[in-house]
This record gives sequence, C-alpha cells and structure tokens, in this order.
Amino acid sequence: MPAPQFTHLHVASSYSLRYGTATPAALAARAASLGMPALALTDRDGLYGAFKHVQACADAGIKPLLGADLAVTGEPTPRSSSQRGRAGRVTLLATGRRGWGSLCRLVSAAHATTDGDDDAPAVTPELIAEHAAGLIVLLGPASDVGQAVAARRPDQARRALDRWRHLTQEIAVEVVDHLDHKSTIRAARLAELARDTRVPAVLANAVRYLDPAGSLAAQVLDAARHLVPLGSPRLVPHNGRAYLASPDDMTDIAKRVASAMTGPGTASAAIGLLAETDELARRCVLDAAYDLGVGTHHLPETEGTAYDQHKELRDRCEHAILHGQYRTASADGRPRGVSRLKAAQQARDRLEHELDIIARTGMAAYFLTVADVANRIRNAGIRCAIRGSGAGSFVNHLLGISAIDPLEHDLLMERFLSPIRNTLPDIDLDVESARRLDAYRIIFDRYGAERTACVCMMETYRARSAIRDVAAAMSLPPDEIGAIAKSFPHIRAKHISNALSELPELRRSRLNQAQLETVFAIAQQLDGLPRHVAMHPCGVLLSDRTLLNRTAVQKSGEGFPLSQLDKDDAEIAGVIKLDVLGVRMQSAMAHTLTEIRRTENKKIDIDAIARDDQATYAMIQRSETIGCFQIESPGQRELVKKLAPRDIADLIVDISLFRPGPVNSDMIGPFLRTRHGLAEPRYPHEDLAAALGETGGVVVFHEQVLRIIDVLTGCGLAEADLVRRHLSREGGPERTAPWFRAQALARGFDPVTVERVWQVVAAFGGFGFCKAHAAAFAIPVYQSAWLKRHHPAAFFAGVLTHDPGMYPKRVIIADARLSGVQVLPVDINESAAEWRAVVLQDPPSSSRTEAALPSPPHSPLRPARPDTPAADDPGPGRPRPARSPARRLLESSGPLQALRSHLPGGRLPAPASPQAIRCSLQEVKGISDAEIARIVAGQPYISLRDFWNRARVSRPVAEHLVLIGAFDSLYDPGSRHASPDKLDSLRPLDSLASLDSPCFLGSPGAPNVRVAPRSPAPPSPASSSPASSSPASSSPAAPSPAALSSAPRPTRRDLLARVGVLARQTSSARAAAPALDLFAGTGAEAGDGMADLVPAGQLRELDLAERVAAELEVLGFDVSKHVMSFYAELLAGLEVVSSAELPDQENGAAILVAGAKVATQTPAVRSGQRIIFASLDDAVGLVDLAFFESVQDRCAARLFGSWLLLVRGRVRRAGAGPMAVTVNGYECWDIPALEELRVAAGMDAVRAAMAAGDVGPGAYQGLQDQPPAAAPATGQASDAAASGEHAAPLTFANGFVLSPYAETGGPGGNLKTPPRNLWHASPGSTAHPN
Amino acid sequence: VREVQDSAMGRMYGEPAEVQAREDGRPTGFAWRGRRYAVSAVQEHWLVNRAWWRESAPVPARPELEFWRVEASTGKNASTGSYELRRDVADGTWTLRRIAD
Repeated sequence: MPAPQFTHLHVASSYSLRYGTATPAALAARAASLGMPALALTDRDGLYGAFKHVQACADAGIKPLLGADLAVTGEPTPRSSSQRGRAGRVTLLATGRRGWGSLCRLVSAAHATTDGDDDAPAVTPELIAEHAAGLIVLLGPASDVGQAVAARRPDQARRALDRWRHLTQEIAVEVVDHLDHKSTIRAARLAELARDTRVPAVLANAVRYLDPAGSLAAQVLDAARHLVPLGSPRLVPHNGRAYLASPDDMTDIAKRVASAMTGPGTASAAIGLLAETDELARRCVLDAAYDLGVGTHHLPETEGTAYDQHKELRDRCEHAILHGQYRTASADGRPRGVSRLKAAQQARDRLEHELDIIARTGMAAYFLTVADVANRIRNAGIRCAIRGSGAGSFVNHLLGISAIDPLEHDLLMERFLSPIRNTLPDIDLDVESARRLDAYRIIFDRYGAERTACVCMMETYRARSAIRDVAAAMSLPPDEIGAIAKSFPHIRAKHISNALSELPELRRSRLNQAQLETVFAIAQQLDGLPRHVAMHPCGVLLSDRTLLNRTAVQKSGEGFPLSQLDKDDAEIAGVIKLDVLGVRMQSAMAHTLTEIRRTENKKIDIDAIARDDQATYAMIQRSETIGCFQIESPGQRELVKKLAPRDIADLIVDISLFRPGPVNSDMIGPFLRTRHGLAEPRYPHEDLAAALGETGGVVVFHEQVLRIIDVLTGCGLAEADLVRRHLSREGGPERTAPWFRAQALARGFDPVTVERVWQVVAAFGGFGFCKAHAAAFAIPVYQSAWLKRHHPAAFFAGVLTHDPGMYPKRVIIADARLSGVQVLPVDINESAAEWRAVVLQDPPSSSRTEAALPSPPHSPLRPARPDTPAADDPGPGRPRPARSPARRLLESSGPLQALRSHLPGGRLPAPASPQAIRCSLQEVKGISDAEIARIVAGQPYISLRDFWNRARVSRPVAEHLVLIGAFDSLYDPGSRHASPDKLDSLRPLDSLASLDSPCFLGSPGAPNVRVAPRSPAPPSPASSSPASSSPASSSPAAPSPAALSSAPRPTRRDLLARVGVLARQTSSARAAAPALDLFAGTGAEAGDGMADLVPAGQLRELDLAERVAAELEVLGFDVSKHVMSFYAELLAGLEVVSSAELPDQENGAAILVAGAKVATQTPAVRSGQRIIFASLDDAVGLVDLAFFESVQDRCAARLFGSWLLLVRGRVRRAGAGPMAVTVNGYECWDIPALEELRVAAGMDAVRAAMAAGDVGPGAYQGLQDQPPAAAPATGQASDAAASGEHAAPLTFANGFVLSPYAETGGPGGNLKTPPRNLWHASPGSTAHPN
Repeated sequence: VREVQDSAMGRMYGEPAEVQAREDGRPTGFAWRGRRYAVSAVQEHWLVNRAWWRESAPVPARPELEFWRVEASTGKNASTGSYELRRDVADGTWTLRRIAD
C-alpha cells in the first residue's frame, strides 16, 4: 500500500456540548503531527467551534473542513403517530462558500425547531433537502441506513439509502468501526451496501477525543447529558476507540472491515475506502478567505459607494465643527491656553488626520453605523456613553458617539484605529442597565434579524460542576460530594490536585480514596469544556444581509437571535461586534434625572453641564464620594484625598492611577509629589517633556508610551501602538529592545538616555491604562458627583434603586443621611417600586429653612449618642407635632446632620429641592414584582384589611411589611409627615363612598392617586353600604381624626396577629366560596373589623432594638437606628474615636475606632505587599483603615470574619486633602464578643481581654478557661460560667468558634450576624475594563 | 468449578486461562483445565470498557476488556468449539468467558 494519506471527516470537538472532550486547537495540532493534510470539524448540533477550527488549522498548517452532526426527525410513522420519531443522526459536510452558507442556515433551522433548552435541535430530511446546495450527507452507523443494517434489515437499509439519494444532492456512506460488539461486521455490511448501490463509501472514526484515555470523560459526559448514572441501559457501551486515529490505524481499520466483507471487490475494498475518503476530503476543503469570508469586513450596507460614505462622514464632522456641536464654538470648552482660531485649526488638522486613517482602513461605514446606533438609543431616551479606546477618536466625538473631546485631553486615534492593524476597532457603548435589552431591540428593529444577532459565550465546566457531574455519573453519595465540591473555591478543575493536597481534611471523607482520585482525574479532563451556551452580556453583531450565511443562530433565553459566534469568532469572521453594556450607574443617573423632573419640574441635561463646578470638586476632594461612579471604593477615596482632583483631567489621572500597574511600579508617589509642588517634574529626556508633562514625568497612560516610542524611534504613532501591544506579551520587551536601541541611537539620542528611556518603556510593559478609556469613565464620574452634590435626594433615590456600586445599601443610606437627606421608611401608601425623592411639606408654622436644619447637637465631636429618645418626644398618647418619624429618628440618632453642617463645605441641599427619600417596596424581602405592581396600583389603602384584600400579597410579605412599620402611618396619622390639610382629608370618612375620593391620603407628588375599584356599588353618597355586615361601615359616624389619634393604636405585634387572622379568614373563605371576597367593602381602620379579634395595644410594641433587627432582616439595612448605637456604652467606655473626630487626631496617635464593616479591598500594591483596605461605618461616617502585611497574621481572620469591628491603629495623615486621614490598623476585635464580655464581667474584663490579645466570638469562653489571674472573674461572670458550665463552644467547619453564650449576650446580640451581602469584598482592585 | 450459568449462547465460565497470542493480540491457542486448544479462526473481536465507576481501586486510563470469540479444538481429530476469551487490557490477564457448543 502507498504511504497512507488520511483525513478525518467526522470529528466532534469540545464544542459538541457534553459530548466531545478535545478542543479544536488540540485536534488540529494532533492531526498535523500525524501528518494529515486536513481535518474536518463536524460538531453535534452547532457550529460554535467552526471559526476556532479554521484558526487552529491555519495555526497547525493544515486545511479545514467544516460540517455538522445533526439529529434527524423521522416521518410520522403509523406505529408512533403521536410524534415524529427520531431517525438517527447524519453528518453534513460543506463544500465551498455555498455549502458553508447552507450549513449555517440548516443548523439555524435545526435550532428553530426547538422550544427550549431541553429540546435538542433536529432536522427533517425535507429540511436537509431544502438546504442541500453544497452539502454532502454522510450516512454512517448512527443514520437510519446504518441502524437498518445493524438490525439486519438490508431491504429497509436500501430503501432508506434510496430516499436520501433522491432527497439531497450528494450522499456518501460513512463506514465506522470502533470495535464495539458486532461493529466490524456491521461496517462491512454498510460498505457492501454502498458498493452494491454505487454510492461512495468513506471511512471515518467518529472522533470524540484525542487519545483512547479520553473515553472515560466521554462516557461521563454521556451520562451527564442523559442525566442517568453510568451503567444505565440508556447508555451505549464505551471503549477507547473514538480517538483521532493515525493514518496507519485507519488503514488497519479499513483492512479489518474489508476482510469482513463478502462478495465482489473485497480485495480492493480497503484501498477503495481510503481513496474515496481522500477524494471527498479534497472536495470539502474550505478556503478561509473565499469560502468563509475571513479577513474581510462585513459591515452593514449603507447607501451609496464607499466614496459616498466617506464624503458623508466628512460632511457630518465638518458640520459639527462649524455649527457648534464641537466645543471650540464655545469659549469655555476650549483647551487651556489655546485661542479660538488655533483651536479651530487644530480641530481641522486632527479631522483630516483621522479621516485619512478611516479612508485607508475603509471604515467610514463603520463609523456611520455606530453613530446611527448611538443616536437611535439616545433618541429612545436611553442614556448612552462611550467606553474604551473609541473615546480617543475625534470623529467619534464629532459624530456624537463620544462626549469626550480628544483634543482637550490629548487622546490618540492610533490607540483605537490604526491603518497598519487590520482588525475591526472596538466601540463599546454603556447604556442604562435596566434598559439594555431595549437598546438591543432598537438595534434589531433598525438592522433586522438578517443582519443582527447577539454574541454567544460558553459557560464552561469549573471545579465544582465537574466534580458534581462526574460523581453523579459514578453514583457516589451526593451529600459528601456536594461538601467536597463546595469546599473548593471557584477554581478551575485542573487545580484540583493541588487543592486536595492543601486541604487534607478532604481525605477524612468516607469516600473511597481511589474513587475520589478517579473523580478528580476525570473532572480535570472536563476542566474548561463548554457545557452551556449563553448570551454574551453585551455583544451584538452587526453585519450585512449575508450574516446568516456566515453564522448559525439560535434563540437566546431572552428571545433574541443568538449567533453561534463568540466574540473572538466575530473578529475572525470579520463581523462588527458592538458591545452594548448595561451600566447600573447610567440607570441610577437616569432615575435621578427622572426624580428631579418629578419633584422639581426641572429638566437637566446632564450631558451638557459644565464640567468645572468647584462645589462638585470640593466634595470629591473631601472624598465624600460614596455612591459616585468609580471613585467610591476605600482605596479610591484614599487616592482622591491625596490627589485632590480639580478638573476632569485630574479625574482621568485618578482613574488611571488606581490600577495594579501604576501602584506596582510606584508611580503614585512621584506623581503626587510633583502634583503638589513638592518636587520638580523630571523627564528621562527633555524631548519627552511634552509627552510626560501632564503627569509630572510619570508614565501613566498608554498614549504616553506611544509618544515616547515615537519620539525616540520616529516610527509613527500607529507603529508605536503595535510595539506597545507587543511589549505586553511574554518575551515582548526582550524582542523589542534591540530594535528600540538601534532606532533611538540612529536618531542621535545618547546611549545613556536611550537606556534610561528603554527602562521606563520596558517597565511600563503591559500595564498602564488607556487614557481614552479613563477619559470616557471620567464623564460619568463627574456627572454622578455633580448630581450627588446638587441633587442629593434624587441622586440617592437613583443609587439605591439601581444599586450600581460596591457598597451595601446601608452604607449608601448612612451616606444619604450624612448628605442631609432624610431616609423615610417603607410606607404602604407612599412607597413605590423604586426609591423616590420626597419633598417634605412641613407645617406652615415652622419655617422651611429651619426645618431643613436639625436642632443643634449636644456636641458635634462626640460619637453618635446611644438610643435615648429625643428630648422633645412627647411620649405615647400625647398628640405629636406633625413631624415625620424619620425626622425624629434623625434627631434622636445623634448629631450626624448638624455635624455635617460644621464641616467645611457642608453638604446641605438647596432648600427647594427634595430633602428626603422614601424606601422602595423592592427592598422588602421576598416581595415579587407582581406584588409590588398590585400594591402600587391599589394605593392608597385605608387599613390593613383593605390592603390585604386588594393588594393580595403573600402572608410573609404582609408580615414583613408590618414588621418594618409600613402600616404605622395608617394607624398613627399624627406621626405622618402629612400636612394639616392632608389630615383634613381624613374627615370624609363618614361614608364608604367617599373613600373613593381621590384626595384621600394622596401623596403630594402624585396628584392622580388612583383608588382601586372596590365593591360593585356605585360611588354615590346616597347609596348605603353594601357590606352592611361590617360594623364600621354601618356605623353612622366614623371617627374623626381626633378620635383616631386618641384611640389606642395597634402595635406592630397586633398587626402581625391581624395578618394571621386575615390569612386564616381568607383561606377558609376561599375554601367556602372561592369567588366571593367576604371582606370587600369593609370600612376604615377604626373599623378595620378586626379590633374585636385582635384589640389594639394588646401586644407589646417592638422596641427599638427589635425594630432594627426586623429592618436588618427584612430590608437588609437599619433604618430606625444605626446598629452601632447598641454598643454605645462599650465604645464610650473604651473612648473610641468617631470618624468625625478623626481630623482632630494627632498624626501617629494610637486610637481605637469602631464600626460595621462595609467593605474590604485588597488591591495589588507596590512591592507586592498585600494591603487590606477596609471601611467601617460608625454611624457618623466612614473610617478608612489600612492593614499592612506585618499585622495581617494577627488581624486578617477577624477582619474578614467579623461584621462589627473594634480596631486599634495609628492615625495617618496622608495627603493634601483637607480630611485625608486613614487609620493604619494593627489590632482588631469583634464588638459583640466584647459586649458580651462587658455585660457578663464589666469593662475591666473587656480591657483585660483586649490586652491579652485576640477577642473574637467565643473569646469570653476562652477567658473562662484561663487562670483567674488573667481574667478577674466577677460574680456575674461566675454565674454565667456556672449556667453554661461545660457547654462546649460550637466550632464550625471553617474554624469559626462560637461561644455557647452567644445567644444570651448583651443587647443587640441578635444583630451580630449581618444579613447576607451586607458588605462587599473584592479580591483586587476594580474590574479592569479591557 | 465456577460454572456460572447456562444460556442460549452456551455455558458461562470466567476462569483464568493461559493464552498464546500474536503481537496484535489475536489468540493462537490457549490452555484450560489442563488441556491445550489450538485456535483455528477468529469469529468475533470487540472491546468494551469495564464498569470502572464501581471499582474502589485506582482506575487505569484504559479500563478496556478485549473479547475474542474463536474457533478452537484440542487436536486435529477433535471437534471444534466456539470459545470466548477475554483479556484485561490494563493488566494483560486472560479469562475463558464462555463456551458455545
């Protein structure tokens, strides 16, 4: 036989989900190493791997073939008439461009027949016939032909083959022999059938893995796909033969099959099989450029020729410069120190330069398309901002895509689009997260589904999922496997072995060691394999009308067409990918603007505000940036303190500096020194002063690297960008150095300078930051800060509704209070689906200004006072002044508000704007969107019963609402912040009909309060109550407001009991007469109809601690009172310093601070040292802490494990900002544990324990075990010890020890465990944008 | 004698056998219960993974069992029978699985 040449025609990669185990790259590399000229990829059910295969084949130097392995739906047979049976699977191979297009459309059609995730895609033979052009159908052992052969029904096999022959253009029989039981003889019979019917027969190996050893993983995937354990009769037997066999192995198979054949021509059968395989393979080789369109850009069609497009682009840009859209038209936006004439000239020069690059890259249509998309999104009222390097393009600015003027900030086009880089530029648009899908719809509507599709992404196996699937397939005990899987952090499965050796407790498991090893070994093979197709969170493909000939699409879970291209494939396929990112801050700002419009009737164009508002920068310099975009993290607040930004340029630098790179290379120190005039800027060479001047000689931006390289080598900026990209790759600097040195020396720079500059360039390496990107970010940073400064109530309503930041809501709420915004609790008649800004209407008697300012505090420089009620609290029963509960609360919870007014640049809002925010219903635990919609639609409610009947919420939700006081205002009208005239509106309670009067309890902001239709009776005062069974409504005179306020008020516990009664009544009523609402039309509260069942005041009211506990439980944040206030005595005893007092502390002084942990952050820092940044909320403000590595052994566990922390540290006055104080912590303790100790043993014991060292949960118990000398046991302590003698501390699996006394601890003991997600922890700095 | 069961296919055994095989694995002869058999033809040959997921010993990368159904006899004049031999690919041990009459 001649030297065998073999091409595999039937190969499944890992993109055959839960079927194949080898990546396209591995398969292509192996095929090349086996000397094969080409390789097909015929994944099951999809073309997800197609472009990866093409790329891999190019890398491996072989030719690609593409196809798909699809399930076929059979004819509706008489036997099973109900549904069309499955008629096996066929493999389709594409020939030429036509065939590839057919394949894409056929796979799309297969997916179009499915209606859900569980439904596998399939095609009918007719569908294949419809898309037959250029496709070859391979009929192998899995086809109906092969199945008939296996069933020894040669006539049926022949008929099936004939049907395929007539139905489609071209068929071939696919002979496969995996040495399964009887597979050789079946392969031989199939080959005989082909011979006898003169159909070509090819040999394939139906590949699923690289090596025979891959069969175990494939077997597990079969089990996982079918959701049955291994050994199930539903699974076919496996062996290791479905591997990428060598040509020699395939020749052996050909010979084996041939020798099992009978009849004529068997002698040459083996050679014939291989020859026909080779011939078919040659015909199916695809040309990446011609057949698949790789290397060409497929942009949406636009009107006219390329020349027309370019002209239109130029016209629009010039128009923008001339007619005011460009900022040189107005004096204030002009770059500093530049005359108008010069600015205009610069603009023209830059425009020509960019248009030249665009002309050379042929991208005019691209810019016009993106401009069109951005414009349409904005016209739909969706906020839209650019992100990424696209902000460096002046054309993008002139077209209105980007709000950044690159001339003003010295940004470079070359970083974005370069004539020497044949890649599609990336423009990313940030839109409101809540309206991202609306933006998608706009794009789909404009360009049509034939040009548009979402980008897909693969969810892959990770350690936990791999272990679970393998163990489930092996029928191992799910509980223990679950525990093992859970104990793994979210790591990739290939690290399992390491984790196992580092976590020896895993070996204690009852599981057999060998089984566990098997589990891990196979799980490692599953590592990284795709397991589920998902929609990429932001990518949208935009192409011409041939898109569906270049990608298969399926339906995403959201109902959008989902391309089978991922973002890398899109690049290879030459399709524009527009990233439309949902950004919560954009939604938050949109809601802020809505609230400003609603409450103040002001329409603010936030994109047009001047970006030089000094009040805004002053606020940033004070690092009062919580809630603001990008600059709210503890590390960032530390940085803005030091940097003290004065303008947008400073914000750009700030954003760029807060990255691992700049921190690691010590850029911040030198930068700050020159920035604050403490050092002269130093440049490696005077020629670089222009490039580095803006950052005092420190390299911060990518753009600066480009300039440095350009200045030293004269290579031009486009080339310099290529060099920069090269530098970030491994070994890049070494390869670049000789070129750089030679070029620079040739240009006359002296060797010392060249070396010095090279060191800077090489050190810069891959990090640093794209300035254009930072500039694009700086705009929303400024906008959010401006809104916070000037419209705080609306701003906090926006931030709390859309939750854009890193902090738990309780921090935002605390900051809202510090910003002078009152936080109003959930009110059943006032709260909406979102947080609302509220204009407080104080009684006319009190002046507005006075009302906005709280009464002066007792002392501004003391920590929040404990929970003594406000002095002016009239006590129960007495009529109260018409002040809101929140107002009283604010006053009673300490001098926060006033304190703020004593600070420089105090943050009181303008009197006319809203001063409060109302908590949204969304915050209530367990509430559904449908319940919120019903509650809001039914507002207002007059009683709990009314609410229960009309809002129809679940019982737990009703109870949660009661617990957090959402009904308090109904039963305690005096406490409402309602104006007197609103109270008057309570009067017409005397007839039921008047309840429908729209003014009843109407909220000031919503004049068109709707009242849900009630009983069928028409709302006529003359008509008597239809529900005469209700005592309240039948009584001739309902109570007047005065009577209401003097009547005993039901407590929250009473209301809770009433919810129970209502729930029981409802269920029994439903059981009796499902359609009848027995309680419809019952009257107002006084006549809730329930007072006799659960009399008001029968049950004790929740005390303050219970209220706060309920709030933490139901809302996740404390509204009534700050959680720290429960430890006031302890903290006062320890002389803890509050955050407000920090500025007065001596630099270096050792102090104690305390608070609820709201964030920890461990960004990469210089010299590789890990610094833990943490913030504590102490009710007055935030204390920013830094823990250096030397103390982390002592502190880290407590810092990460506890919520309420006491920290000892040294005051560090870091920078130039007025309030730049940080505490370098070196000891920390758990506050509830200390409080427990204080209650049990007194302050002395607390101090002794702190001196002795670690005090965490359980410390008190530990103290008891120590000799008496170490801990002076008081009588109290002995009692406690006696009562809990020998009660062993509870030790959790994570090593956390809980004292047995924990539950009997001091006040607020039940608050020590925060609700979920109460603080934020990040493994590193903020997300890297690229 | 570990005769397992009678079936339509013949009698099941499962006893170790000493087998001579060619380099490609094809058996040429075997010894069983003290008698020597010569293989005259291979009737069937197949491979299947054993139930490795039930095993509590470490699983080899290729837990395959290789089956050969062969025609064999004890001598020239003896009648031929059909014998099913099984080789554990991982450790190379042979088992006589079945005799079909």
